[in-house]
Amino acid sequence: MLRRAVLVALCIGLGLAWGSSSAQISEGSKLVVYTYESFVAWGPAKFIKTEFEKQHPGIEVEFVATGPSRAMFARLVNETISGGTPADLFLGEVNDVPRAKKFGLFMPLKPEEIPNLRSVPKDLLLDPDLTIVPYEHGFITLVYDSTKLKPEELPKTFEDLTKPQYQKKLIVQNALTSSVGQSFLFWTIYNYGEGKYLDYWRRLLPSILTIQPGWSAAYKLFTKGEAPMVVSFSTDECFDARYKPLLLNSQGYRTIFGASVIKGTDNPKLAREFINFLLSPEVQEKLPDTEVMFPVNSQAQLPDKWRTCAVIPPSPVMIPLDVVSENADRWLDEWARLVVTGR
Amino acid sequence: VNMRRWGGEQLLLALPVLFLVVFFYGPIANLLREGLTKDGAFSLEFLWAVLTDDYFRHVILFTLWQALLSTLASIALGLPLAFILTHYDFPLKRIVRALTIVPFVLPAITVALGFVLLFGRNGYLNQFLMHLFGLSEPPLPIMYSLTGIVLAHAFYNAPIITRTVHAAWERLDPRYEESARALGASRFFVFKDITLPMILPGLLSGAALVFIFCFLSFPIVLSVGGGRFSTIEVEIYTRVVTRLDPQFVNYKIGAALALVGLVLSLAVTYLYLRLQGSLALQTEQLRPRPTAPLFAGVRDLLRPAKLLVWLYVLISVILFVGPVAAIVVDSLREETAEGARWTLRWYSYIFTPNYEALVGDSPLRAIVNSLIFGLGATAIAVPLGLIFAYVIARLRLDRSSCRRRRQGVQSRRSLVDTLLMAPLATSSIVLAFALLRAFNAPPLRLVGTATAVIIAHAVIIFPFIVRALVPILESLDVRLTEMARSLGAGRFRALRDIELPLVATGLIAGAVFAFALSLGEMSATLMLARPGLSTMPVAVYRFLSQHSLGAPSAMSVVMIAVSAIAFILLERWGERALRF
Repeated sequence: MLRRAVLVALCIGLGLAWGSSSAQISEGSKLVVYTYESFVAWGPAKFIKTEFEKQHPGIEVEFVATGPSRAMFARLVNETISGGTPADLFLGEVNDVPRAKKFGLFMPLKPEEIPNLRSVPKDLLLDPDLTIVPYEHGFITLVYDSTKLKPEELPKTFEDLTKPQYQKKLIVQNALTSSVGQSFLFWTIYNYGEGKYLDYWRRLLPSILTIQPGWSAAYKLFTKGEAPMVVSFSTDECFDARYKPLLLNSQGYRTIFGASVIKGTDNPKLAREFINFLLSPEVQEKLPDTEVMFPVNSQAQLPDKWRTCAVIPPSPVMIPLDVVSENADRWLDEWARLVVTGR
Repeated sequence: VNMRRWGGEQLLLALPVLFLVVFFYGPIANLLREGLTKDGAFSLEFLWAVLTDDYFRHVILFTLWQALLSTLASIALGLPLAFILTHYDFPLKRIVRALTIVPFVLPAITVALGFVLLFGRNGYLNQFLMHLFGLSEPPLPIMYSLTGIVLAHAFYNAPIITRTVHAAWERLDPRYEESARALGASRFFVFKDITLPMILPGLLSGAALVFIFCFLSFPIVLSVGGGRFSTIEVEIYTRVVTRLDPQFVNYKIGAALALVGLVLSLAVTYLYLRLQGSLALQTEQLRPRPTAPLFAGVRDLLRPAKLLVWLYVLISVILFVGPVAAIVVDSLREETAEGARWTLRWYSYIFTPNYEALVGDSPLRAIVNSLIFGLGATAIAVPLGLIFAYVIARLRLDRSSCRRRRQGVQSRRSLVDTLLMAPLATSSIVLAFALLRAFNAPPLRLVGTATAVIIAHAVIIFPFIVRALVPILESLDVRLTEMARSLGAGRFRALRDIELPLVATGLIAGAVFAFALSLGEMSATLMLARPGLSTMPVAVYRFLSQHSLGAPSAMSVVMIAVSAIAFILLERWGERALRF
C-alpha cells in the first residue's frame, strides 16, 4: 500500500517535472531586463511592465533581479562568457560601466535613438559612447534614525565617525557585492586618497556593526533598529520621516543608475524603445516615490514634499570613471584584505 | 554465479554513474581545471598563490577554525538531547523527535532572519535582558560575530549529532551497562568504559558530517557573520561570481580555492564514510532500553541532574524554537501608522495567484514550483540512489564473507565511496556555478528551465538518499534473495518481491528527507532559475528586499510547516530508518 503510494507520488513528480520543463518560454517576443532587486521590490518595475506591455501588444517584459546590482552584473558577465545571456537590457550603476567596457557587454547608442534624452542634463551623461543611458540619480550619504540619535550627537565629518561613541553604530554594505558599498568605499578614497584610505578604514572598523551583502539587507537591519546609522541615500527622509540624511564633510557621493542595451540582443529596436519609455515623464515621475531617487528628465515633476525632504548635498563628489576603471580592482582587493584580516 | 550477476549490476550502475559524470564530475572538473591552467597550459601558479598568500591562508584557516568550533558547539547542544531522547519519556516525544530534523532543511536566509529577530542587538533576547537589568546597551553581542556564525551552524547541525548518537545509543544493549553496574563499576566508569565507546562511532560520524556542512556553509557566514568574515566558499563566491575581471585572474583564483576546499572536504568525507562503515558492524540490540518519565514530580525536579536537564531544555528551546517562533510572530504582525498590530494579510498575500514582479510570478506559483521541483528531483534521485546503494551494498557483502580481508576492503570501498559521494563534499554555490556554465553552452543548454533546477536538486540530494539506503541494504539477508532465485524467481522478480519491500521504509524515509532538502535549497536555485521558476526559499529571499518582514516571514512559516508535516508523517512510518 505504502509502496504503491510512494511509487505513484514519484511518477506524478516525474510527470510534472517533465511537463513543466517542456513548457519552454519562447524568446523574441520577450524583453528580458536584468536589474537590481530593489528596483523590483520597491521600484516601478510592475508599473513599467504593465504600461510597456500595453503599448507593445504581444511583447512580454521580464525583470530578472536575483541579487543586488553588482551580483546581477556578475551574472551577466558569467553568462556572456560561457555561451550567451538571455538578457536584452541591463539596469545598473554607472561605476560598473568601465568594467562592462572591458568585457564589451553593452551596445553604444546614438543620442537621436533615444528622443527623450533631449530633456536629460548633459552632466549626467558620463559615458561619451553612451553605452549607459542614465534614468535616475542620487547621492550616497549616511542616514540616521532620528528616534535614536539627537542632532547634537551626530558625526559631522568622516573623522568624527571613528570616535569611540559611535562604536557599532553604523551598518555598511560590502563593496565587493553592492554598488552602494562600492560607492561608499570610493567616497572614502576621494577624501583620504590612495595613501591613507586604508588607514582610515582601519580606524573606522570599530564603528561598523556589520558589513552586509547588499543595500536591502543593510537597510532591513537599520529599520529593525540594529544600528542607528546606515549608508544609504540623501532622499530617504521622503520615504520615512524618521530616517534623515547625515552629510559627512557636507558631501554626498554621486550615484547614477542607467540602462544599457546588451550586445547581441535579438531586439535592439525594442530595447531602445524601452529605454526611451524609461526616460518618459510618466515613468520618471514614478521614480521619486518608488525608487526614492531623483529622475533625470528635467520635464518630470517632483512630488511637493520632495522640496523639503529630498536633500541635495552642498558638495556632491565623485571619482571620475577613468580613474575608477584603472584602480577599482586593486582598491576592492586591498579593502577586502583589510576588513577580513583587520590588517 | 558472482561473475554473471556482477555483469548485470555493472550495467545498472552505469545509470547513476552516467548521471553523476554528466551533471556533476564533468561540470566540476571544468571549473577546477581553470585553477590549474594558465594560457591554456598546465600551471600551478594560482594554486601556489592561494596556498602561500597570507590572506588566503587566513581565509583557509578561518574556514577550518569556524567549522571546528561549530562542530564542537553542535556536539555540546546535540548530545544532551540525544541523552534525553534515549533515557526519558515525555508527551509528544515522537513529534519532538520528528521535528528535530526541521532546522536542517531550512534555507540559511530564513535562519539568518530568525537570528536577527531573536539575537540581534534590537532582538527579543537583548531587549528582554536590557529591560530586566535596566541596561542601555545590548548585553549579548551574538550577531555579526564568530559567535553568531557558530550558533547558527549549531542550530542547523546539532540535530544531526542528536540523531546519529540517539540511533547508536538506542541500539546499545542495556545489559552491558547493567552487568558492569552489578559488578560494582561506578556510573562514571560505566559511561566512560562502556557507553561512550559504544556511541563514539555514531558521535564521530555525525561530527564529521557536521564539520563538512559547516566547512561548506556560505550564506550564514555572509549574512549572520557579515563582510568581516570570509571563508573559502565566500571567497569563491565573491571571486568567481561577483568579481570577474577580463583577465580571469579572480576566476582562476576562485577555481584554485575550490580545489583546495574540495580536497579538504573530501578528506573529511572519507573519514565520515569510514566511521559510517564501522557503525554497521555494531551488535544487534536484544532488549529495548528502559526509559524514565522526564517529569516525575516536584521533588525529582530539584535533583541536580534533573536541574541540568531542565537548564538544557531551556537553552535549547531558546536556540531552536526561538528563531522559528520569532519568524512566526513576525509573519502575523503589521506595522501601521497607529503602531504594530496582529494580521493575517501576509498569508493572504503569499497565497494570491496575482503576479508579483518581485517573485517574477505569483507567490502561490513559487509554492507550487517548490513542490514540483521537489517531487521531480526526488523522482530522479531515488531510483538512481537506490541502484547505486544496492550495488555498493552487494559489492561489500560479496567480499566481506572473507573476514580477514574486511579491513582492506573497507578502506578501499571508502575511497570509492568518497569519490562517489563527492556531491556531499561540494558546496551548493560551487555546484551551481559549475552547472550554470555547463548549462549555458551546448549540448546542455538548460539554464533558466525547470529541468536545470530539478537536475541540480537531484545532484544535491542524491548522496543523502544513498546514505539512507546503504545501511539498510547491507543488513538485508542475502539468503532471502538467493532462496527466491533458487525457487525460480528472476532477478527482477526477486528485486520487486523480496528486496524492495524490505527496504521500503528506508526508501520512503530517504525520499521524504530528500524532498525536504530540495524544498530548502536556495543557492543553486537562485543562480539557475528564472523569475517564473521561483521556489519558496527564493521567494523568501526576494521578499526580504521589501520593506516589511511580513511576507518573507509568512513564506518561511509555510516552508517550515511543509517540512514539519513531512517529518511528522515520516515518524509515523518509522523514520528511524532515516540515518545520516
